[in-house]
Amino acid sequence: MPCSISKAQMTKRRWPWLLFPVLTLLSASAFSQSPEEILKKIDRNLTPESFESYRKLINIEPNGRSREYILFTVKKGRDKVASVFLSPASDKGRATLRLGDNMWLYVPDVGKPIRITSLQSVVGGVFNNADILRLDYNVEYGVKELQQKGEEYVLDLQARSSSVAYDRLRMTVTEKTLLPTKIECFAVAGMLIKTLYFKEPKVFEGITRPTVIETDSPLYRGYKSLIVYASIKAKDFPDEVFTLTFLPRVETLR
Amino acid sequence: MKLFAALLLFGVYLFQTPLALAQKEYEVDLSKLQKEIEKKPYALNGFFEFTPALLLLDQTSTIYDMQLADRHVGRAMDQYNSRLRLEGSYQRGFARLYAMGDGYLRNDDLGWSGRAHLFQGYLSLKFRPNTAVDVGKRVARWGKGYAWNPAAFIDRPKDMEDPQEALEGFTMLSADFTKSFTGRLKTLSFTPVILPVTKDLNDVLGKPGHINAAGKLYGLIWDTDVDLMFLVGSSRSVRYGLDFSRNLQANSEVHAEWAWLTSGESRATSSGLAGFRYLTADETTFIAEYYRNGPGLSEEEARDLYNNLGRGDFGDRSAQRLLGTQNLMRDYLYLRATKKEPFQILYLTPEISSIINLSDHSFLVLPGFTYNPVTNLQLRLRFGCLVGGANTEYGEKQTNYRLELRVRYFFQQP
Repeated sequence: MPCSISKAQMTKRRWPWLLFPVLTLLSASAFSQSPEEILKKIDRNLTPESFESYRKLINIEPNGRSREYILFTVKKGRDKVASVFLSPASDKGRATLRLGDNMWLYVPDVGKPIRITSLQSVVGGVFNNADILRLDYNVEYGVKELQQKGEEYVLDLQARSSSVAYDRLRMTVTEKTLLPTKIECFAVAGMLIKTLYFKEPKVFEGITRPTVIETDSPLYRGYKSLIVYASIKAKDFPDEVFTLTFLPRVETLR
Repeated sequence: MKLFAALLLFGVYLFQTPLALAQKEYEVDLSKLQKEIEKKPYALNGFFEFTPALLLLDQTSTIYDMQLADRHVGRAMDQYNSRLRLEGSYQRGFARLYAMGDGYLRNDDLGWSGRAHLFQGYLSLKFRPNTAVDVGKRVARWGKGYAWNPAAFIDRPKDMEDPQEALEGFTMLSADFTKSFTGRLKTLSFTPVILPVTKDLNDVLGKPGHINAAGKLYGLIWDTDVDLMFLVGSSRSVRYGLDFSRNLQANSEVHAEWAWLTSGESRATSSGLAGFRYLTADETTFIAEYYRNGPGLSEEEARDLYNNLGRGDFGDRSAQRLLGTQNLMRDYLYLRATKKEPFQILYLTPEISSIINLSDHSFLVLPGFTYNPVTNLQLRLRFGCLVGGANTEYGEKQTNYRLELRVRYFFQQP
């Protein structure tokens, strides 16, 4: 019996074969992009360039006790970011502003923003400023090396200045989604300070990104910390929002 | 004394008792989180604080003579302080009402004492992010100094031992106009202020029956915060101020502040300070400030003051001056060191601070630590030691030593 295959059937049978060169071309084109461009795409896949977000930071102690902080953050462009704690009560109203390498902390009792060194930690526990006032990775880091390992890229990132919390990052990224699955953070001496695991992808108004970032650190054995994104929304703000004068009013942007 | 010791032991117990729970897989309930971030138009928060303290008094000091000699107070004194601070706000559209109230109650060998204040209470209208108007009682907190702010013309003086604590404000009408730029000058902001002084309103600011004007021009230029301030009016002498703050490196900051008080009720004078903040690699923060207190007494004037008081004449202006100021003389140094979470003990911050009178070499030293054993509970154990000979500022204070445990519990709704 002659085998007759319609044009439509042929197309149907061939499409996986057609997809192969397309995907190959796509990944080649991905690799043909400069490593810096790949890093920029990773940044855009994590957050819009300007946005507002709500996050919960959770410190889990070895004895099972946990502490939770809720943070409202607004960011604009490459180097403007402001955050305010909504809870717990002991931290409510503490706000931070970052303009490039300039950083200020506003404590409601003190009643005025004070300039802090950019490495100063603004919250206790495992979290540091890099967790709270993070700029895009491509702003703070340059790509030293890009390797492909199976279906993942491994980017070796080097801090552009000494004001960045971690001197070097090793970022493992899924090739298909260009989203990180793991980031290892190293100090200048090469010591591993912290590992971030990106989990539970979810759609947030236009972007699909991990909801949970789990952290462990050899410096704090037995402790674990989580950053849980409740909401990320692309939003533009006037430049005046990112000023010392406005810092005590950041919460009114909600 | 026994009660104080018992409370101290309770604090130490809280410090060292972790709950015996095993670490388990943590589950995040996103729907609960969505409810938690839901915005309410109102907010209420604050803290309750209990601070038992043990004081060892200096029965030979001038201030003891003036205040306690005839009140049958012994060398050691227990003191029990309670404080309630409440903050509330209500926001609707561009308008926000805010109030902060503070009440404290003290019991010691002198009996009961206490006071309730409205620290702040104002209406804030934010027309746009670059324009806002505030009317009511509020703090301005001008200046860049950590321990002192000579250019804070419209603020009450800080508590030298707790410079980060909230202060009572003044009733004023103020506005903020802000403009951002690209280039060397990144931000420019102007804050004009109107302050009336009457017998019942802002009376500590000077002569009543006048309306005073103040203003601050702020700029972020060449990555440096710069402020220019002024206060004009008939309640006080006209004064001008200038300050700046800048990060030298990622772990260091320098700041300075200067104030010029024109001749009014007393001679013209200027005050100023210069300081820095430095963070080491192991997260120890050092703060140092030198303060030149223009209106302060010279060594000769201070000697005359103590001689007058030594003759038992407590009714003249000398006595008022000694009791009414935190900085009697002209040259001071403030030093502070805090270490974040030593030995990887999370939420523990040891600290030591000192105020040194460089003219008479007397000083105050305050070692202690702060610990947050559980969310919203903060413990602070602090020892205070005042050192100085006869006729020196800290040598003539009524207390030699003080040990206190502050237990502060924070709450919020919603």
